[in-house]
Amino acid sequence: MRTDREQGTGNGRAPAEGGRMALLAVAVLLFAAPASGQARGTQQPAAAAAPNVQLDLTAVSLPVPAAGKLVAITNATIMTASNGTIQKGTIVIRDGKIAAVGTDVAVPAGAKVIDGTGKYITPGIIDAHSHAASEAINEGTLSITSMVRIADVLRQDGVSLYRQLAGGTTTLNILHGSANTIGGQNAVVKLRYGLPVDSLMFEGAPPGIKFALGENVRQTNRTVLPGREARFPRTRMGVEDLLRDAFTRAQEYRRDWQQYEAQRKKATTAAQRAALIPPARNLELDALVEVLEGKRLVHCHSYRADEILMMLRVAKDFGFRVATFQHVLEGYKVADELAKAGSGASTFADNWAYKMEAWDAIPHNAALMAERGVVVSINSDSDERARRLYQEAAKAMHYGGASEQEALRMITLNPAKQLGVDKRVGSIEVGKDADLAIFTGHPFAPNSRVDMTLIDGRVFFDRATSPTLEQLIEQMRQRQRPRVTSEEQ
Amino acid sequence: MNYSGIGNRRVPAAGGRMGIGKRWEPGSGRSARALIGAIALSVLAGTSLVAQSATYVIRGGTVVPVVGAQIPNGTVVIANGRIQAVGANVQAPAGATVIDATGKFVYPGMIDSGTELGLTEIGSVPGSTDTREIGDFNPQDVALTAVNAHSELIPVARVNGVTTVITSAQGALMSGAAALVDLSGWTPDEMAVKPKAAMVMSYPSAGSGGRGGFGGRGQGGNAGEALSRQVRELRDFLADARAYAAVKARLASGGTAAADAPRVNQAMEALVPVIRGEMPVIFDVNTADQIRGVLALADTFKLKVILRGPRDAWRLADTLAARGIPVIVGPTTENPGTDDAYDALYAQPGALAKAGVKIAFQTSGSSDVRNLPYNAALATAYGLDMDEAIKALTINPAQIFGVADRYGSLEAGKVANVIVTTGNPLDVRSTVTHLFIRGQLVPLADRHTKLYEQFRARPKP
Repeated sequence: MRTDREQGTGNGRAPAEGGRMALLAVAVLLFAAPASGQARGTQQPAAAAAPNVQLDLTAVSLPVPAAGKLVAITNATIMTASNGTIQKGTIVIRDGKIAAVGTDVAVPAGAKVIDGTGKYITPGIIDAHSHAASEAINEGTLSITSMVRIADVLRQDGVSLYRQLAGGTTTLNILHGSANTIGGQNAVVKLRYGLPVDSLMFEGAPPGIKFALGENVRQTNRTVLPGREARFPRTRMGVEDLLRDAFTRAQEYRRDWQQYEAQRKKATTAAQRAALIPPARNLELDALVEVLEGKRLVHCHSYRADEILMMLRVAKDFGFRVATFQHVLEGYKVADELAKAGSGASTFADNWAYKMEAWDAIPHNAALMAERGVVVSINSDSDERARRLYQEAAKAMHYGGASEQEALRMITLNPAKQLGVDKRVGSIEVGKDADLAIFTGHPFAPNSRVDMTLIDGRVFFDRATSPTLEQLIEQMRQRQRPRVTSEEQ
Repeated sequence: MNYSGIGNRRVPAAGGRMGIGKRWEPGSGRSARALIGAIALSVLAGTSLVAQSATYVIRGGTVVPVVGAQIPNGTVVIANGRIQAVGANVQAPAGATVIDATGKFVYPGMIDSGTELGLTEIGSVPGSTDTREIGDFNPQDVALTAVNAHSELIPVARVNGVTTVITSAQGALMSGAAALVDLSGWTPDEMAVKPKAAMVMSYPSAGSGGRGGFGGRGQGGNAGEALSRQVRELRDFLADARAYAAVKARLASGGTAAADAPRVNQAMEALVPVIRGEMPVIFDVNTADQIRGVLALADTFKLKVILRGPRDAWRLADTLAARGIPVIVGPTTENPGTDDAYDALYAQPGALAKAGVKIAFQTSGSSDVRNLPYNAALATAYGLDMDEAIKALTINPAQIFGVADRYGSLEAGKVANVIVTTGNPLDVRSTVTHLFIRGQLVPLADRHTKLYEQFRARPKP
């Protein structure tokens, strides 16, 4: 803190901006209502420097997804995530919501029909730890940056979002980085690829914030450059101190405002009101007050059991719940404590050994925590892994023996619960958003892939209209073969 | 759980220390007695020891020999470190330990064609990593020297059926000799199948920070110039080696006076077998331009090349197939280039195989070697035939690294690297229930199962 406290309040933003930014946030939410018929504005230019055979990759420009007023997917195996698997079932989608699901469901007249014969349908996959669609996600100069917001740096980052859609992923929890103990505010988004960037925001999702513990925040693996001071904290004890200090300041800040509001209420004359001076607006502490009041979900990057217990103690002492521990690679060691605190765990399927605090990571972590009553999700923390979270989820069956439905829930219903959006997404149930992934076979089978991904009933990915490698090879053979062979001879 | 094998001291046996040049080579004409002695020596790193039994019979399962058709209700007999028999009507030898594989499958152990296993323990801890030497030209470095046979990562690498890996330093223009090792043994020498299986090189790339040890050193803002310089250095180095090898050949034939012999140069010595075409070169590449560069070098210096990790090999698939150049693909779990098709890395293995290129897979890792079959699985979802995928994990790498007479399939006489699985090993839902390396049943316990069992038994607080 020391320096953080000074710099944190003087971070260059005039207090008035807080109000303006709040308005902007509201505007973003309003704007994010599913729009239809908007042109795709963010296509990347054609491959500029493909050094060999020039292939036209602008074919990624798909038709704008139709509004999907009435859609029926028929004769499919439907893995609901909430209530088992339905064989030869039909899903009816009306205005972006699931209107009916089951075996005795009639296809309404006028519905666009997608033949699901031989296909498996799962809820759209939810990734509770992503850094996609954003840039410069680490405001790491201070140890507390609760005033910065991922929503301010969201962008339609071209092909990466599209590739995640192609893996059946539909919702992301985009988090600030782990450079500091109290990081920035998150953004929960739907992968409405190709629509204006404001359309990404998951309307109505509870706000959250990134916390981080351990090696990254104490900058263990970073050399302190000559002439620069090491940033506080450098130990796990220091991390706890920082957290307690921050929340103590947040409590005092809240008390100042409460006193001010009380006095304002008591004031009877205009002169009395005018004499009252409001406390200085502090955007850093505003976010922490929201945490204290349970209005902002804490997503806490963590590795070791000891630091997880520390965070639970601090949260208990200040009266809030940690919504999720992220990574939480030693969560299996303190699963009972996590379950008791009602904290979720969002972990990797099997990453380990990349740093000291990942040395006791085991791939049984997800299944063992779930066995002990923790709501567990499996996340990507990577634009690449987010393309194949279904394979990652299957590892919870492989290591530790989770059931098929439990494994599926770890990438659907459970992350939805952790993000507070389970009334909207995460399972195939009447009334929920029609966010679906259509697989060529069982999602956990080795040779299955995603052929279609829907969000709000609209097809955002369709392999049939995507440029695939196979198509490019065919194009190359037709257009370029003579040149290639002459070059090689 | 006995974890470290402490207390099971190795007893010097008739075979003696299997040093370089005295390595255990099944089929090299040694007596069976010496062979058994050698096998007894290769007690397994990082695992508890189980009762040793010379003879095993795996029966009742579907045997997938890889070479030849599947055998329903087949039998595999293992003794003396070798597969003794494979078939539908095989008599079980008396006294053998029987493994009932009813409802299960029997495959050869899988081979990861590119790892840093044994050379690194914890990625961010410099004291635990030996994967990158200073300098761009280190052909004389031998990876096997630094393989930690007791790495905690080795038992973890085995759990999904990998029994053999290529391990090496990588990243320099010449990183040195890669070792082909079995994932068991008290010492690196004991693990070695081929201590110098291939020379690892990388072709310079135009981009900075990518493959090729090209991370900006001396680039001075002109990547193209630096690229040309590094290509020139690579060619010059190989030209020197060719001259060195020629002088050595003339010396050997008496064409050059001994007094005119060149000073011994370790780097040049290491490249002599490469120049003679006796030792293949693994070329880590990415783009089509790099591949073309490698093909040009192969032509000039008559190198036997193996491409590894390319993103763009599909563009030259017909050429590679025609020239018989194998490609080690993967990891498939990487993002394709910005301009590539979304499924480019998933679909490339299938495209290469269809064009007639011999492929094998690599994880290019250390802690994630156990994901080798799942790397291949992603390729089968995008066009790679399932049988081809299995071959790319077994017989193909055995052929590429010149050990197909001993490895890569279930055939009588081959080294008994065998796995028993509950299903297709590429399916994440399958489990490996038994794993043999050199005929020895290796427990599938590791650091992770130990911690799992320990904390699963934690009483409620």
